[in-house]
Amino acid sequence: MNTLLETGIGKAIDRVDGRLKVTGMAKYASEFSVENKLYGQGINSTIAKGEIISIDTTEAKNLNGVLKIITYKNAEKLKTFGDELGPNRPNTIAPVLQDNKVNYYGEYVGFVVAETFEIAQHAARLVKFEYRKDPNPAIHFDELRAKAYKPKESSDYSRGNMDQGLEEADTVVEETYSTPIEHHHPMELHAVIASWENGKVTAYSSQQMIDANVTAVANTFQIPKENVRIIAAFVGGGFGSKLNIERHVIMAIMASKMLGRPVQATVTRQQMFTNTGLRQFNEQKMRVGAKSDGTLTALSHDTLSFTSTTKEYQESCGFLSKMLYNVPNNSIKHRLVPMNLQTPFAMRAPGEATGSFALESAMDEMAYKLNMDPIEFRVKNDTQTDLSENKPFSSRLLVECLRIGAEKFGWENRKQEPRTNRKGNWLVGYGVSAASRKAPYQKTNSKVIIELVDGKPTATIQMDATDIGTGSYTIIAQTASEYLGISTDQISVEIGDSDFPKTPGSGGSWGAASYSNGARAACENAISQLKKKLSLSEDEEVKVADLLKRNDLAKYEATGTAEPSEEFKNHSVFSFGANFTEVWVDKDTGMYRIKRMVNVGSAGKILNPKTAYGQVIGGLTMGAGMVIAEQTKIEPNFGNFITRSFADYHVPVNLDMANIDVVFLPEDDKIANKMGVKGIGELGITSVAASIANAIFNATGKRMRDLPITPEKLINASIESDLKA
Amino acid sequence: MRPFTYTSSTDKEQAIQAFTASSHYLGGGTNLIDLMKEDVERPDQLIDINKLDYKNITTNEDGGLTLGAMLSNSETANNPEVRSKYPLLSMAILSAATAQIRNMATNGGNLLQRTRCPYFYETSMPCNKREAGSGCGAKNGMNALHAVFGYSDKCVAVNPSDMSVALSAIGATVEVQKPDGSSRRINFSDFHRLPGDQPEKETNLMPGELITAIHLSKPVFSDHYYYLKIRERSSYAFALISVAAGLQLEDGIITKAGLAMGGVAHKPWKLIKAEAFLNGKKPGESNFKEAAELAMKDAKPLEDNKYKIEMGKKAIVRALVQAYERKA
Repeated sequence: MNTLLETGIGKAIDRVDGRLKVTGMAKYASEFSVENKLYGQGINSTIAKGEIISIDTTEAKNLNGVLKIITYKNAEKLKTFGDELGPNRPNTIAPVLQDNKVNYYGEYVGFVVAETFEIAQHAARLVKFEYRKDPNPAIHFDELRAKAYKPKESSDYSRGNMDQGLEEADTVVEETYSTPIEHHHPMELHAVIASWENGKVTAYSSQQMIDANVTAVANTFQIPKENVRIIAAFVGGGFGSKLNIERHVIMAIMASKMLGRPVQATVTRQQMFTNTGLRQFNEQKMRVGAKSDGTLTALSHDTLSFTSTTKEYQESCGFLSKMLYNVPNNSIKHRLVPMNLQTPFAMRAPGEATGSFALESAMDEMAYKLNMDPIEFRVKNDTQTDLSENKPFSSRLLVECLRIGAEKFGWENRKQEPRTNRKGNWLVGYGVSAASRKAPYQKTNSKVIIELVDGKPTATIQMDATDIGTGSYTIIAQTASEYLGISTDQISVEIGDSDFPKTPGSGGSWGAASYSNGARAACENAISQLKKKLSLSEDEEVKVADLLKRNDLAKYEATGTAEPSEEFKNHSVFSFGANFTEVWVDKDTGMYRIKRMVNVGSAGKILNPKTAYGQVIGGLTMGAGMVIAEQTKIEPNFGNFITRSFADYHVPVNLDMANIDVVFLPEDDKIANKMGVKGIGELGITSVAASIANAIFNATGKRMRDLPITPEKLINASIESDLKA
Repeated sequence: MRPFTYTSSTDKEQAIQAFTASSHYLGGGTNLIDLMKEDVERPDQLIDINKLDYKNITTNEDGGLTLGAMLSNSETANNPEVRSKYPLLSMAILSAATAQIRNMATNGGNLLQRTRCPYFYETSMPCNKREAGSGCGAKNGMNALHAVFGYSDKCVAVNPSDMSVALSAIGATVEVQKPDGSSRRINFSDFHRLPGDQPEKETNLMPGELITAIHLSKPVFSDHYYYLKIRERSSYAFALISVAAGLQLEDGIITKAGLAMGGVAHKPWKLIKAEAFLNGKKPGESNFKEAAELAMKDAKPLEDNKYKIEMGKKAIVRALVQAYERKA
């Protein structure tokens, strides 16, 4: 069956770009054949803090095929983020090769340009840097706690009175939860092919947010925005790491400007640890107070983490803790310690992914202390109002997610008392957690071109959206199909090019809602305009082909813009979900298996169940990775990352993952947007870690509050001791 | 990667003749090429030996098998003779890496895998193994993955091979071709070295020597065997601790025990005392526990790897129980 013959949204059709991908025809940034191109390779610092005192390029320069070695000495002066351009966002850049300072281990200190990738790689190792090393780099977090400060863009929040809330409580849980540095590691390496020609830049670059990225390049090189073109037709995953213009892009453009030839820069997997962002480690202190009947009286969430010494970034770990439950007394704090490390950056569900581990573990701890079922405890504290914003939720089906999930999972078989479910050497446990993620939606433009080809209607949709593996191509095609009344195989989608109408790009779970509503707006306008020309009423049903024919048109173009309504702004718009996990822990080896997962989500209208499942399964796997093994460790004597390849940085393998059941609840939330679409890209990763850790507690009776939960930590926790035979 | 020349050999004389002090033989390349990309290995010349005819498994007079050095790990582990005569070896090989890597990796190359110590891999950090005299970064750095047995001040790295742990428990000899054309056999327990003052020297192979075969004496542990590998994820991860356990039983008594550990030393660590203790004993948890205590008694953990003592004991007991119960 050719599923592409389906018409409209909501169908589980195959990806419209699937064939291109599996046949290798989908071109990613580094795969474009650009004539005469050179290859650039970034050089990384080998100290955590200090200054470059000399650079010896002799050996590298003498290598046949080396054209240029760029360092702070000969680099172009750039406009970077700061007073004039504002903070470092997707529309500004962080400095690169601008001075002789080294701020962290692995920072770019040079860029070699050569005729081939191999020569550039080799030459990069031959450039010798001499450093004046600062003897006291800020690399030991424990010694730096006193330097914690309140970030400029504070995410602190409070309501009611925490002290009073704790006093009113019959039971208090006060615990600290830790999460490590993690890396995005999309499958496609960051890459760019940049050409500077007569003051104009064309860049094939793996990016999530094209329009903002165009602004960044224009700002940096002080050229008009219309002189910058970015193309990101296919992006092999981003997870946040491709939101900004990263420094290899700037170095490649700079080199192309200097040499008058296109320059390709592909970041190596090792450099993906040091040069394309990371998720910061967090230490989260939770205080929860509840009455003996389970009524929450107080909840506070204090996060301590790091930022770099050159730039501020924070994950708002407490975000969910201020809106998820009906608790009158609430306090959220966030403090940062500047360290000589790479600046952290947004990674899939920044704040929620890590914050939910602390919140939903603490909720589980409280439920256990109260001897309450953890689902009943959450249901008891449900709220239909976002207390942090004093706004009603546009819709909230959290209780339904928990109830339906419980039934599907077989929650009634869970034993409330931990360590009581044994299967041979295995300790079996069930865990649950609640999830939520903001469902934003932003102004999006698009253009539709409808044509009659041999009497048959076809349509092309254009916008500068990106498909970062999420399925944007497919849902945009389905939307156009829905609103034009023709099947998806008659629609072509052109995205990932700054020449197309502006969108907010892919990030923050707003892609699907924004792109689909943008496409809808253009299609609706086209139909409406064509009807108007014929003086037909809006609700008269006429096929798009007939509209063109009756207008005597072979082709018609229309644009459209979708943006949030007043009603949207007056509500809190979120997706909700519940995670259920069954874990089997080996009592002796500390190894464990995630046997089953059930995820129930309410995320508005599901445009395509197939791509939506993919998003949730990917999110669950990434969330499981947080628990199983993912972590980047800082070497205490040198300040570099000791985990610097996939041999050391362990992401889950197929065998680690469970049978995963994903359920989407039907939800009609027209306040969210006209199509009722909510984000799904980040909901899946939220709270997964807590559901696994809670299952491990239920299995072993040991509360694991420090991610990842490795065999080493379970052995150290003596899971086996005092077990009855 | 640094530039190098590449030669493909079709016969061993040619290969040996081409060898120079800065050459490397190239088998599957699953470790060597990675190390070259990392600038850790810097050969001027690669001599590709994949065309050499060491790809057979032959049966010896005592019923034992000889494994060709150039046979892939996959072909070895999945060979019906190996599976029935030395299932412990098959199990250990299949627990390593991924199917793709096992398809590439050769038996000879497997024995020459270099440590996964991160200080060895990162050329900007000290490592005596990579650069003699530069120091050991791991000893006073991060050493959760490092040795608890047999290390020195110069090096605390561990050998990463799973296959070698099984070979250590089973017993084997390694046949090598010498540069002068003659051959010699090295007892498997003498093949790998402890770091001592020369951590850069991991085996007792002489320069230019070429592994041609691994000889296994008559089949052992074909009924009672288990390879337990504790790691951070279910596949494609090096062992935190691994245990190869084999038992021969006669009338309910252990007549021969084979026990070796991985992830604990610079070489596959044969548990000689525990093996000796188990000989003549009844199989069962109490004897297994005593053997495990004996095995781990001499362990000296570093700062970050104290967990390996408890994990090691539990792993030994579990592997022995699994081996015993497999066909009890």
